[in-house]
Amino acid sequence: MNRDGMLSAVRVGAIAGICMVFAITIGFVEAVSRREVLRDVLPLSTVLLLIVGVITGVLAVRTSTRGPEPTMGAALPRGVIAGAVAGAIIAAYALLAESVDLRAVFTNLSPSAIETVTFDQGIGVGALILVIGGAALGALGAILRLLPPLPTRMVIAAGLTVVVLSIMEQVFRVMLSELGLGAVGSLFYSSGALTLLGALIIAVVTAALVWLARARRSPVRAQLARVTGRPDRRTSLLLYVLVGAALLILPQIVGRFPSDVLGTAGLYILLGLGLNIVVGYAGLLDLGYVAFYAIGSYSIAMLTSPQSFLALELNFWLVLPLVILLAAIAGIVIGAPVLRLRGDYLAIVTLGFGEIVRLLFLSDWLKEFTNAGQGILGIPPPTLPGLEFPGRDPQEIYYPILLACVLAAIVAYRLANSRVGRAWNAMREDESVAEATGINTTNYKLLAFALGAVFGCLSGALFAAKIGSIFPHSFEILVSITALAVIILGGMGSIPGVIVGGLVLVGLPEFLREFDEYRLLVYGAVLVAMMLLRPEGLVPSATRQRELHEADDPDDQYDADAGAETGEPVITGARA
Amino acid sequence: MTGRFSLVTVTLWLLSAVVIGAMILGSVLTLAEGRFTVTQWRDLVINGVALGAVYALIALGYTLVYGILFMINFAHGEVFMAGAFTAYFAADFLAEQGLIESNPILALAIVFAVAMLTSMVVAVLLERIAYRKLRNAPRLVPLITAIGASLFLQYAFRGLYGSGVRSYPNVPALDGTLDIAGIPFRATQVMVILSAIALMAGLWYLINRTKTGRAMRAVSEDRETAALMGINVDRVIVRTFAIGGLLAGAAGVLYALIFSQVFFLMGFIPGIKAFTAAVLGGIGNIAGAMLGGFALGILEQVGPNLFLSGYGVPGANQLRDGIAFAVLVIVLIIRPTGILGRKES
Repeated sequence: MNRDGMLSAVRVGAIAGICMVFAITIGFVEAVSRREVLRDVLPLSTVLLLIVGVITGVLAVRTSTRGPEPTMGAALPRGVIAGAVAGAIIAAYALLAESVDLRAVFTNLSPSAIETVTFDQGIGVGALILVIGGAALGALGAILRLLPPLPTRMVIAAGLTVVVLSIMEQVFRVMLSELGLGAVGSLFYSSGALTLLGALIIAVVTAALVWLARARRSPVRAQLARVTGRPDRRTSLLLYVLVGAALLILPQIVGRFPSDVLGTAGLYILLGLGLNIVVGYAGLLDLGYVAFYAIGSYSIAMLTSPQSFLALELNFWLVLPLVILLAAIAGIVIGAPVLRLRGDYLAIVTLGFGEIVRLLFLSDWLKEFTNAGQGILGIPPPTLPGLEFPGRDPQEIYYPILLACVLAAIVAYRLANSRVGRAWNAMREDESVAEATGINTTNYKLLAFALGAVFGCLSGALFAAKIGSIFPHSFEILVSITALAVIILGGMGSIPGVIVGGLVLVGLPEFLREFDEYRLLVYGAVLVAMMLLRPEGLVPSATRQRELHEADDPDDQYDADAGAETGEPVITGARA
Repeated sequence: MTGRFSLVTVTLWLLSAVVIGAMILGSVLTLAEGRFTVTQWRDLVINGVALGAVYALIALGYTLVYGILFMINFAHGEVFMAGAFTAYFAADFLAEQGLIESNPILALAIVFAVAMLTSMVVAVLLERIAYRKLRNAPRLVPLITAIGASLFLQYAFRGLYGSGVRSYPNVPALDGTLDIAGIPFRATQVMVILSAIALMAGLWYLINRTKTGRAMRAVSEDRETAALMGINVDRVIVRTFAIGGLLAGAAGVLYALIFSQVFFLMGFIPGIKAFTAAVLGGIGNIAGAMLGGFALGILEQVGPNLFLSGYGVPGANQLRDGIAFAVLVIVLIIRPTGILGRKES
């Protein structure tokens, strides 16, 4: 075994340990420990430690290999060392926290967090568990890394399914009892967590499914490739009908709270679809997207609420066309001044616009119209004229949101594959060349802004109708950044990506209320990690993937062609 | 650019003309009404200069990084916050020990050192972890990373130090006023302006008179050729981030001395404003960043009162941040290279 391998294993372990120390200090570990994955057996904090340990092992093997796969004999010690180092660092930190009062500075570092990571065994035994356990997990990670892909995939799938099913307990329990299977529900779940038996069954079933899918894997893929190449209309139609039916009955099965979550996620999917046109298709990084969300909310509120200065009390659907028109105009008005700006300037200026819009809604100057900080209350739900239907009940408001999302997705899909979409594509790749080939970049940019604004305003309008009262504080820059994170996670320019991103980043955290305050931390980390590791997103569009991996040559940072090929403009500008 | 007069260009110019005209009309109205006395204007300008000094120090960090990497380090405002927030604990500790009263110079030096070192470490880690891998990525990629890093740092520091607003201890030595040429300055403001000028002079020396500075200028001019001449580009970039971090940390303490409050979101708005200042002066241009900082500071203090109160807008100061953004937009439309920037080739 070589020295370099050892050193890099120690490094990986140290980084993992420091990350865990950070997680303990900011109170994340303690927040996670309040949630149980397995009733009375396994809190989520332990799962976190387990996952970090295994990943440490995997990375310890990976970073030390350039070239041939290491043998088990070489890999195992690296995993063990990395895991043990990580455990030792956590243990040392626990000892430090016990002996020195760090809480004067680190307010979220509670004694119970230290008890959690030492498993309530006191510092001595706890440290021993951490080091030995770390070593064992590191070894497990190293083994997993060297196993053939199938068993690894089985283990990962089983573990993930158990954790996700446990977190989503509220959904599945209600679902089971709605289907008349309440008994099954109480077999699997007990007071907010999975039972041991339930977890075992789920793990075994998932692993078995993965194993079964193995044989069919390649033919299905080949079929899928053929389908996407030349769509078999009947199969895809059937698929659409099935998915549509499932989406329609979904709120009735899952119950009130999950429907509410779906509604919120839907609003962000709508925002993401709109932002995706501006950022993903046209390549204009708009950080002031919240401005349109705010304009949509406020215009609906002013036109429909009895408490606004207009006091018109119109019906939601009646004024919606007007709001959409207004949105398109707002998009053009905000888009026009930034047309000539280069990518990064555009981002900051649009960010400024977003803030200006919020400040205006908040200011005393426009108080007569916007009520400043008091907001506008009493916005009616989006009932159809003459009906009581879509009321504010989460199981009803879901439908207009779903409708808007479906329409937006269809519009976005059709646009992406049209002449307009290709023009946007060309513009994103290289503006000068696009202009030289006869594309009117001004018009296409304005079109992108206007369409993005329409989707954003639609989302804002539905938000106002869903919540019933709006305040300037609902329209902070964070809305823009969340929408950005949604499209980045899924993949810029990818419609399924937006949906996945919305469900994961906006929907899932609603079930993890215990650590709501770490949500934005996670968003930030997601943005950085995605850009570093997988810039094309989790569910990438095919074009985007090719584009981003065209010049994949990280070792040669002075490769002049790399910049030119990815369409990065030749650098100009002032010097220091 | 193309040089022809398209509809968009004309519209934009008209738009800017209208905005500037409205500003001038507003100023005339305000002055004609005599709403503010000369003393009030003078105090606003002095406040503006002090604030502008802080913006200038942060703006230097943006401009240095932009000059070398051509990227906007969106998280630079958080680097500033990290220093100010961490140094609060040092300041608080020193106040408890009584050192701030007995030896304010030493105490402030310690506070500055803590803030500058923290900010430097954060800036360097940021470069190492988040930006280094992306040097040749398409333009939007590092920018999105920077936005993510900014959000991450904000909430990481909220996690570390809590979400509450902390108040810096009072420094008795900086209470009271100093008469300079018959004008009473608040001692804090004098201290802020002087330290900022000293730091800028130090930076000027570093850039123009040292080997490191020459290497930085070379890398900024042409990274590839500089590398061929034997300059370790990685090291120069790390040093650039470190210098930007040091200046931002110092700016953090100065900001805390003026406003006395620190919390985890404090970096966002000053960060954006400092960026505006850097653009105003000409991004990539060091003298421009200083000039832009002072200009923006004064504009922001004087502007809302001067331009808006003439129209009878209530609570004009609420729109202060809006003024900064409006300045940014107008500068980018009329002269994207800023006051001191070169014409783009």
